[in-house]
Amino acid sequence: MGTFIQQLINGLTVGGVYALIALGYTMVYGVLRLINFAHGDLCILGAFIGLTVLTGGLGGGHPGAALLALAFIAAIIAIAIAGVLLEIIAYRPLRRADRLAAVVSALGASMLIENGIMLIWGPDVHVFPPDLLPKTSWRVAGAAISFTQLMIILISCALMAALYGFVNHTRFGTAIRAAAIDQDAARLMGINVNRVIGSVFVIGPALGAVGGLFIGVYYREAYFTMGWTYGLSAFIAAILGGIGNIPGAMLGGVLLGLFNAFAAGYVSSSWQDAITFLLLIAILILRPTGLLGERVAEKV
Amino acid sequence: MSATRMGLAGGLAWLLCLAIPALAGSAWVAIFATFAIYAITALSEDIILGRAGIYDMGHAVYLGIGAYATAILNTAFGWPILATIPAAILAAALAGGLLSAPLIRLRGDYLLVATIGFNAIFILVMQNDPGGITGGSDGIAGIDVPALFGWQLASQNALFWLDWGVLGLALLLMRNLDRCEFGRALRYIKQDQLAAATLGVDTRRVKTLAFALGAGLAGLAGSLFAVQLSSVSPSSFVFTESVTLFAIVIVGGPGSIPGVLLGAALMFVVPEIFRDFAQYRYFVFGIAMIAVMVLRPQGLWPRRRAA
Repeated sequence: MGTFIQQLINGLTVGGVYALIALGYTMVYGVLRLINFAHGDLCILGAFIGLTVLTGGLGGGHPGAALLALAFIAAIIAIAIAGVLLEIIAYRPLRRADRLAAVVSALGASMLIENGIMLIWGPDVHVFPPDLLPKTSWRVAGAAISFTQLMIILISCALMAALYGFVNHTRFGTAIRAAAIDQDAARLMGINVNRVIGSVFVIGPALGAVGGLFIGVYYREAYFTMGWTYGLSAFIAAILGGIGNIPGAMLGGVLLGLFNAFAAGYVSSSWQDAITFLLLIAILILRPTGLLGERVAEKV
Repeated sequence: MSATRMGLAGGLAWLLCLAIPALAGSAWVAIFATFAIYAITALSEDIILGRAGIYDMGHAVYLGIGAYATAILNTAFGWPILATIPAAILAAALAGGLLSAPLIRLRGDYLLVATIGFNAIFILVMQNDPGGITGGSDGIAGIDVPALFGWQLASQNALFWLDWGVLGLALLLMRNLDRCEFGRALRYIKQDQLAAATLGVDTRRVKTLAFALGAGLAGLAGSLFAVQLSSVSPSSFVFTESVTLFAIVIVGGPGSIPGVLLGAALMFVVPEIFRDFAQYRYFVFGIAMIAVMVLRPQGLWPRRRAA
């Protein structure tokens, strides 16, 4: 029973992070019908920027809450700007071009960011400072939940609730949903679709930067190819919930986190990833619109 | 230029390239031999992606199946290299045909994601060494040199001519594909699958055949790849390789033979010239992929419209 609760806590922690990153994939796909392959790399760029602030401001002592908050804010702002630049440079000129041109542009952006990280920070694994967060942990039903885990779960939930409220209960959120359903109709209703697309490239990367920095803080390391590893998991989570669907990305992230945790706890870890990919392919074949996606009649 | 004169010019260029071992040093011979292998692979990706319009982003799998088939049959079972080649083609074509059954039911992006999944599973299976035949992460080393009528193709030059000979055959195949009924069916499906189906094209059969043909040709290239390196390991067939092949076709020009060859040259020959800047390679590729797509979304050397 203790193992079960422990895997549940581990799964919820990782799942919260996946959900934060998956939201960026799903929002961009919802509005542009484009898989933003560079999203995972943007998130890890956020982790590196946060790490640089932390190590730069750390005089060898214990970091205060202020420094940690500063690291998160710096990562969020930097990655939101990077997201907007990415859209303007690599995606906007291709909005009316063949879809595959945008896919290759996204793949190029992913390579550019990943190798840009390598050129700036080097190819080695960077270790996060050990005394970043309090070492406190609590015992829950025979399992332990650490301060870091509790922080990740709570902040992820809060951010997701805020996003859900924003998208569903504000004017601008309604504009985002309208543009996702039909861009041309939204434009005719007076919605500035360019602003909607721009906002999606601010919100998604900003949430992703938090997710990326959480990964760094939780696993206490960052390396340049991490964006591919964690980005792909988050992307699978987005598909699991139904790509383009915001509550779907949240549900998919948490489910995938739990699935990974229990697979690692009960199945051999070397086959764990293979099981995740088999799950992905099974979902694509049996229910391609995901768990929460609507079944859409094929347009002729 | 008319299609015939284009073909003549291409044939002449191919003949001229056969003289590379007589003119250039051994380093260049190796580079151009590798180019030939990747050019064949890129052409095989073009059958599926460029001509049939199926978003295949896991093409390194078929290259890998061909390479592993040759490596395993040669090192574990003692088959001569040339005898493993048909087996490699068959194994890859069979895998392509089988995987296409679930894949072609999917559309667009979903298909693309599923092929990424197959690529990842392939790598994990090779690394986990099922039954002790794939050698795990280290792969398999010590593959023989091919022998033709008792003559050992041991030198780098002999391998070069073998690779370029196969490239010549692949180019002929691609050229004929443009003109036959099957090639026209592929183009039709790419442009409008529903219209093709209503006019009596069996879209399922044509797509499965396109997968089998593309995978089989990639398997042939994989066989040559294993011989060229005399070893295989999972890292040669990872997702990044599939992305590179995908990008070669789209950046060069889908369905365009000179375009795909140009794309393969840019991705595999140009980096060799700038060896000193190796760590910038993928950084520059990233910029180049964005720049080409923004400035020339149709590709560097697009297919001629009236074909």
